[in-house]
Amino acid sequence: MVHNALSKQSAVGIDTTAIRIRESVIERRARFRGLAEPLSLLMALAVLIVVFSLLNERFLTTSNFQNVLTQSAIPLIVAVGATLVILLGSIDLSVEGVMGATGMTWILLSANSRGGVDLGPWAWVIALGVALVLGVASGLIFTALKVPSFIVTLGMWYVGLGIATMLYGTDLLPRLEDEGLKGWTSRISFGLPNSFWVALLVIGLGILVLRSTRIGRVTLAIGNSETIVRSAGLPAFRVKVAVFAIAALLSGLGGILATVQLDIGSPTVGSGVLFIVIPAVVIGGTHLGGGKGGILRTVLGVFLLTILNNGLILSGVESSYQSAVTGAILVAAIVFAAWSQRDRLRVAK
Amino acid sequence: MSDVTTPPAVLRLDAVSKSFGSNRAVRGVSLSIQPGQVIGLIGENGAGKSTLLKILSGNYRHDEGTIAVNGREVQFRGPADALRAGIGVVHQEQSLFTNLTIAENIEVNTPIGRGGVNRLGLYNWRRLYADAAQALDLIGSHLNPKTRVSDLSFVDRQMVEIARAIRVSAASHTTPLVILDEPTAILERTETAILEREISKLRDIGSVIFVSHRLDEVMRICDRVVVMRDGELIADRSVDDVTEEELFRLMVGRETHAAVRNRRSIEPATKPVISIQDLTRAGSYTDVSIDAYPGRVLAILGTSGSGREAVARAIFGAEGFDSGSVSIAGYSGRPSIKKAVALGVGYVPAERKTEGMVGEMPADQNITLTHPGSAAIGPFELPRRRLSLARLWFEKLDIRPREPEHMLQDFSGGNQQKVVLAKWLNSSDLKALVLDHPLRGLDPGAAETVNAQIRSVCDDGTAIILIPDTIDEALDIADDIVVMRDGRISGVFDLGHDNPATLDLLERML
Ligand SMILES: Nc1ncnc2c1ncn2[C@@H]1O[C@H](COP(=O)(O)OP(=O)(O)OP(=O)(O)O)[C@@H](O)[C@H]1O
Ligand SMILES: [Mg+2]
Repeated sequence: MVHNALSKQSAVGIDTTAIRIRESVIERRARFRGLAEPLSLLMALAVLIVVFSLLNERFLTTSNFQNVLTQSAIPLIVAVGATLVILLGSIDLSVEGVMGATGMTWILLSANSRGGVDLGPWAWVIALGVALVLGVASGLIFTALKVPSFIVTLGMWYVGLGIATMLYGTDLLPRLEDEGLKGWTSRISFGLPNSFWVALLVIGLGILVLRSTRIGRVTLAIGNSETIVRSAGLPAFRVKVAVFAIAALLSGLGGILATVQLDIGSPTVGSGVLFIVIPAVVIGGTHLGGGKGGILRTVLGVFLLTILNNGLILSGVESSYQSAVTGAILVAAIVFAAWSQRDRLRVAK
Repeated sequence: MSDVTTPPAVLRLDAVSKSFGSNRAVRGVSLSIQPGQVIGLIGENGAGKSTLLKILSGNYRHDEGTIAVNGREVQFRGPADALRAGIGVVHQEQSLFTNLTIAENIEVNTPIGRGGVNRLGLYNWRRLYADAAQALDLIGSHLNPKTRVSDLSFVDRQMVEIARAIRVSAASHTTPLVILDEPTAILERTETAILEREISKLRDIGSVIFVSHRLDEVMRICDRVVVMRDGELIADRSVDDVTEEELFRLMVGRETHAAVRNRRSIEPATKPVISIQDLTRAGSYTDVSIDAYPGRVLAILGTSGSGREAVARAIFGAEGFDSGSVSIAGYSGRPSIKKAVALGVGYVPAERKTEGMVGEMPADQNITLTHPGSAAIGPFELPRRRLSLARLWFEKLDIRPREPEHMLQDFSGGNQQKVVLAKWLNSSDLKALVLDHPLRGLDPGAAETVNAQIRSVCDDGTAIILIPDTIDEALDIADDIVVMRDGRISGVFDLGHDNPATLDLLERML
């Protein structure tokens, strides 16, 4: 076959127009695919809103709207970090622990009913510093020691909770004293709750980082293939640690806001957040394997889950049923998302 | 080998060596490349070509010897160093980020503060797209830089990889050196021609090292050919002074001895092992009917849009279809992989790395994975028997090195392919074997070995359904040829009495 003279013939006269036409079709199809997924999410949101407003007239009111935005603010902030981590192909389970440790540190260093010191803005810096340390620790253990992020952050969850519980001690509840801060998160400025403004800022920054910075782009690349990232000479190590640090900082910020919202310091301020954040990212269409997805989709996912919870409460559904419904919707959404890519030789892990 | 009167070589290697444990993959290789030269690097599977190139790309560190780029000695501590020295590499394995756009893949190594990345590290997308378009333009490609790589065909992906390699090289402000490790192996012949043309053009902007197992291709594109065998560089010839037969002999160490096949027509009484009727899958293929007979090789020809791979996968149950039927040895119920394997069908996929092998498993375990054969007593596999069984296959298919207990991922590409084939051949009752590009990445000598093996199982009564890389491969080994175009059958030949010319077949494909 090597010495076959005929082989020279196949090199001549190729009609490339057919190939080009096929490519333009592929391109158009790709563009449609990019729109289709968020569209179906938006439609699901619309359906939910219509159904709930028919079930309960209080659902479609300004005050309930603001209520939903306040409820979604903290999950949104945390979910921006979670999206980045999941885009790496990793996962951050430490969210609630970091929230607890940061929230406790912050309130004990601010004006509170236990007395102690009031460091003012420094309380923010130190509290977020605690979050940063936890995040960098997760990131380093994960990257340098190559322990799966699942395990590392599961441990870090409890480390965070432990720190929070230690700080909590056996004293009185630390209650927020600063009158200006009390209720700040749900107070309305320019038509929207304050905490939602913070969330908007975080979402905006998150999108900027993901779309237009080296960290963001390398994050997507690592999610696609870390081997290729390394052989392309890109800083995989640094980016992975940075992303875990960013995620922890955002969890910490969420922890402080949750403490303000609750009015008192508690190691479990974050409880329940993980189970909104991770499903929201997945429902939004970000692949758990990494590399595909985005922050805006996650935002839609958070809204979907918050509106669902809110609507179910307003419709008088018991909270035990609520979690069952949320869980069922999550599974359905994942099946739906995976359906289009099914292929018998593809395996799920 | 150096020449004092010429300008400094773009690249100079002096006695470079590299071992993996006791395996000396590269031994004392010396080589120098002048600006504007296209060098063909050929050698058997496992000869050490990729290893040598990975030393140049900073992926591996060499144990001995020196490397000089543009007259200056260099020490690469990682891929980033090689990039900075201006060596752009297209690896044997696909290395694009499929989830990102063409532009990003090309510009991925743009340093902060240059091009489309400003001093704050923020991307200027418009600039990035423009730069990428320029890089593509340089190699005559008009792809839209905003397209996502996952939406590209294989040729276009190669073009993007080459554009990136050149971009890397150009950034160093010296003569670019672009290294291409088997860029044509996964391409159809029609696509290869486009790539060939572009590689020849690279000569005007820099130097190229080009690895391929297709000797005719090497002869057409290159100025000089160097041959590696067992890690050593054993020949360095100008293409004008050498023939394909000579290169083959240098590579393999023997003459080619492809036997001419004695072909017979289908005997009227025989029943097909596999019979597919009016098989249709929307957007892929329509009304395909094919019969495969025991003891015959049936080759399906077609270009990348013909749907022939999808038909092959449907036979093995790896992909569904909309209407029609697949009957295997009389069974025509719901097709599935499990059923197909139970009925004695084997499948060697084109995507070896993801579908055909378990890289983190030793080679011997890969061989006994589906059909343990004599390695097992009941449900128990005996490691020692497995090893000796594997040794047998290693001998028969000339798999190198003869160390079946090593992880399969550490074998060279061609040898991995032989292990995948052995996995199916190990079945005692193989009724049909579906081969999707079985010679992909094999050196010509290895291709002969594998073809001989395929013929021998075929002669034992197995039906072979083959998706060949080239028309020549089909004419070489097939008894029946089916040609597909745009999802439909456009020609059927029984080589027992038909004698189609290459152009005849090509016409029905395009
Ligand atoms: N990472 C590794 N660890 C151990 N051995 C390796 C590794 N990579 C390559 N080898 C061995 O080095 C030798 C040369 O392999 P290499 O991949 O360079 O061959 P090649 O010439 O590129 O072959 P092919 O044409 O099949 O791609 C082989 O014997 C292979 O088994
Ligand atoms: Mg190789």
